[in-house]
Parts: sequence; structure tokens; C-alpha cells
Amino acid sequence: MERFVIIGAGAAGISAARVLRDFRPNDVITVISTDETVHSRCMLHKFLGHERDAQGINFAGVKFFEKNDIIHIACQTVHKIDTAEKKVLFGEGYSAPYDKLLIATGAGFFIPPIPHFREAPNVFGFRDLSDALKIDEAFAKGKRVFIVGSGLVGLDAASALCQRGAEVTIAEMAPRVMPLQTDDYAAGVYQRAFEDHGCKFLLGIGASDAVVDGEGNITEVILSTGEHVPCDFIIMAAGVRPRIQLALDSGIAAERAITVDDHLRTSAPDVYAAGDCTGLSGVWPDAMDQGKAAARNMAGVDEVYPKPYPFKNTSNFFGVTMLSVGRLDLTEGADILVHKTPTEYKKAIVKDGKLTGYLSLGDISNLGLYLHLIRDSIDVSGKLDKIFRLTFADFYGINERNGEFAYRAK
Amino acid sequence: MKRIFIDPAKCDGCKSCTLACMESHRQDGGHGLYTLDLTDPANQSRNRILSDGQGGYSPIFCRHCDDPDCVRTCMSGALVKNEATGLVDYDAEKCAACFMCVMACRYGVPAVSPDRKRMVKCDFCQHLEEGPACVRACPKKAIEVREV
Repeated sequence: MERFVIIGAGAAGISAARVLRDFRPNDVITVISTDETVHSRCMLHKFLGHERDAQGINFAGVKFFEKNDIIHIACQTVHKIDTAEKKVLFGEGYSAPYDKLLIATGAGFFIPPIPHFREAPNVFGFRDLSDALKIDEAFAKGKRVFIVGSGLVGLDAASALCQRGAEVTIAEMAPRVMPLQTDDYAAGVYQRAFEDHGCKFLLGIGASDAVVDGEGNITEVILSTGEHVPCDFIIMAAGVRPRIQLALDSGIAAERAITVDDHLRTSAPDVYAAGDCTGLSGVWPDAMDQGKAAARNMAGVDEVYPKPYPFKNTSNFFGVTMLSVGRLDLTEGADILVHKTPTEYKKAIVKDGKLTGYLSLGDISNLGLYLHLIRDSIDVSGKLDKIFRLTFADFYGINERNGEFAYRAK
Repeated sequence: MKRIFIDPAKCDGCKSCTLACMESHRQDGGHGLYTLDLTDPANQSRNRILSDGQGGYSPIFCRHCDDPDCVRTCMSGALVKNEATGLVDYDAEKCAACFMCVMACRYGVPAVSPDRKRMVKCDFCQHLEEGPACVRACPKKAIEVREV
């Protein structure tokens, strides 16, 4: 009987636990997590917006651990891995021995070195349920929110709080909102949707200092322009960093992220890593896939994890939906094609007969093939005249054996 | 598990399957094609019959894949591969309307509901004892349910 230990109960950790149980019906699987309950960080805004309770954002399903006979040690932080004795140390003097270990500690929010920001008790991240709870508590005392960063995390927090009547100010260093996923036009559409709901944007502007009260709480943010913006609390959404401290403290190789090979093995024997802590990607589906691949390797299947394609996302704010795949910013030597009607906006970046970026704002139904065309560098050179109307019919093939679809070059 | 097998060579593009799908999933309580509102986006079909550009047709039906892109990408737990039936089940109550499934399906099957609050795809007509309405409606036997 083997003992599997997983540190972390996010996308990678839960997906690994599920796959391990599938492969090893009788072995001991333990999940140790800082979080009390399993939750989807992509749904935190539903919790903060009071649309769902904690169970409502549990992506694993009701009684996941009981149903799968997995031991869940909640509210405990692993502080060291003893790779020689093969055990993890957590809490006050507790330890759990392992035969195979998975580190899936995720990423934590990053606070830039702005004076007072790192120490102030009213500066929060928006990554975990515990963060959302803290924000909820702060919101009960004051409705003026200052959000640093207008990526998906910042806008998630903003949309949730706007709906609850907050006065939201969002500062973004880039000249437009969601700079990684949008172009200027798409960003403008989202910006107006948020402004219609009462949000205020400060674009191309950063926070450079703060005014604090006697308890160190920030009461005013001082902008790079010198202007003062009063606030009750701050949400940091200016990027994340892989959580690597545990690996570093345990002698496991890590630089910006935990170093893994193509089987998701770390430098320590029988220790694997998956999800955001590997720095390979920061999006949900890739973390799920990594958890699965690591678990299969831990269970003895020899599986290479292919390099992920992280540039993909969808967004849905106030009913404005967008799909954004590939790189919209890399346009040198490429053709930029645009399709615009009163209800739709689409943009395709084509280079050497291959799609390298695609954005669609409006109805995004049935557009999944564009991610596939970009990720697998499928030739579209003969189809440029209908680049915005491509469907799977243009690549249609059927696997006669099992009836599934398959791409066929035409 | 069961899957709807497609023989595109037999399809003559009549779209009886599309009408049957709309009828099977209509929410207005009515019955029969004579009262089915074909212009109401709420009655959207989950299958699509597309031209193959050479005079034939490419029927697009959810494959309920063995390793479904949509399930792998779902961050709410709304999409689940049912191990017992082999079907990809969808729970609209759990769905967070993030539409990562729409982005992930390489065959472009999932659609967005008109109110943009849920995704729309084939449910294999599990509410009908006799099985998928599209299959029964096809006059050419271009689609049929087979055990995989």
C-alpha cells in the first residue's frame, strides 16, 4: 500500500486527488490544505457578490473527500518537507509520511513595494476564500474601495462589489483595462460597462504612496500624478507569484517557480509539483491538466506533460462576453483582420498562414475551434476570406472506430 | 456508453434533427412543430448542420468525448463526465457562466444562452425515455445511437 500526500486543495490538487483515487482504489491519499473548504478561485466574485455561499463555489462537489475516501487535513499549513525521511511537517509538531508527494500550493497575490502597502492591515488580495471573507468584513465598515490592477482578478472583485453598491476606483498602469486580453476597442467596451455600474478608472496611473491612520490603515492612496484618493480599503490585483517558500525551505529547486521536468517531477525524489506553483501557466484548465498528469506519473504511468498554451481566456462581465486567445499584441509582420458590427467585434492576427491571435466580443458561441487553430498552428492560409466564419465543418473528420470527431486537413 | 454516430455521406441537410432538438428542449410548454417558435433564441438547437462547401453536409453534434475539453476546463464543477452513462452532464445551477467550456471545445459545440447565464449543449435527451429526439427525426438514418 502506498501513501500519497497532496499539499493544496485548488484546481491542481483536487484534480490530482481524483485521478489518483481512480488509479489506486486502495491506497491512502491525504490532502493537506490551508483552506478550510474546497473552492474555485475563479468563482470568488460570486461569493463576494453574495450570489453564492462557500458551498456554492465548491467545484469538487458535495462531500468530495468522504465519497472518494480521501483524508482531508484542513486549515493546516505545511512548513517543511523532509525529503530524506519522506514526510511533510505541518501545524505544531505534526507530520505525515509519504511515498509520493505532490506540491500544489498555487500562487499568492503580489504587493508591489509601494510605501505602507505591504504593512497596512486594510490591503487585501483576492485569491482565496479567506481573502474574500476579509474583504466582506471590511466592506461592512466602508464602501470606498481602491483596486490596484484591472486584469480579470481586479475586474472580478470590482463587478462583485459594484453590485453591492461600492464606490470602486480601479488604477491600472497600462493604458487600458484587461491589457493582456483586450485591444483598445474591446477594452473600451468593458470600461464603459463598468463605468455604467459606477466604477471609476484611472488608466496609465499607478499608486505611489499612501496616507495612513494611527493603526497603519491606508486612508488615502497617493497616485503617481500626486492626486490623493480617499478609500476604506484596498484590493491588490496586480499579479501573482508562485508560492515557492516551502520548496526553498525544503531544499527543493526553485527560481521564480518550482522547477519541474517534463513529468512534473521536482528535484527531490518522489516529489512532484503541479499548478500555479510551477509557473508553467496561470489559468484554471492548465492547472487541472497538470494535476492530472502529475497524478498519473505518481501512480506509475509514464506520461509526458506537454508545454501548456497559457494565452487563453473568456470573460463575462455585466453580460458582455469575450473570448481572447493567442497574442493580440504580437503584430509585427502579421495581417490584422477586423470585423465590426453594432453588436459584434472580432479581430484575427494571421502570420505566415497561421492564426496567432483571435478576439471575439459579443456572442462567443461555438468559437472553441479558434483556440485549437492557434495552439496547434493549423494552416488557415486558404481561408482568410472567411476567417471570422470558420467552423469545425472546415476541418471535419470522424474517428470511425469510436465515433468521435477528429481534425482533418482540407 | 452510447454515442450518436454520424454518417455525413447520408445527410441531405434537411435539418429535421435541428427542429427535433429545438422541440425537445422548448421551455414554453407547447408541443408540436406547428407551435414551435423558430425565431426565439431561447429555442436554440444544440446540433448544427453545416455545409461542407462541396455540396454535402457536416453535422455537428456533441460527441460526449472520452476526454472532454469542456469538462477539463470547467471551474465550477457544472460539467461532469458521468462515469456510469458516459455522457457529459451539465448542471446549470452550478454553472458560473464563465464560458471557458465554449473556448475549450475544439469542435465548437457549446453555445451561450441568450441571457448569457448558462451554456447550451446536447444533453442526449435524458428527459425522453425513447432517447435523443434528433436521431428519431432523421429520415436518412445519418445519425444513430450506438454502443461504444
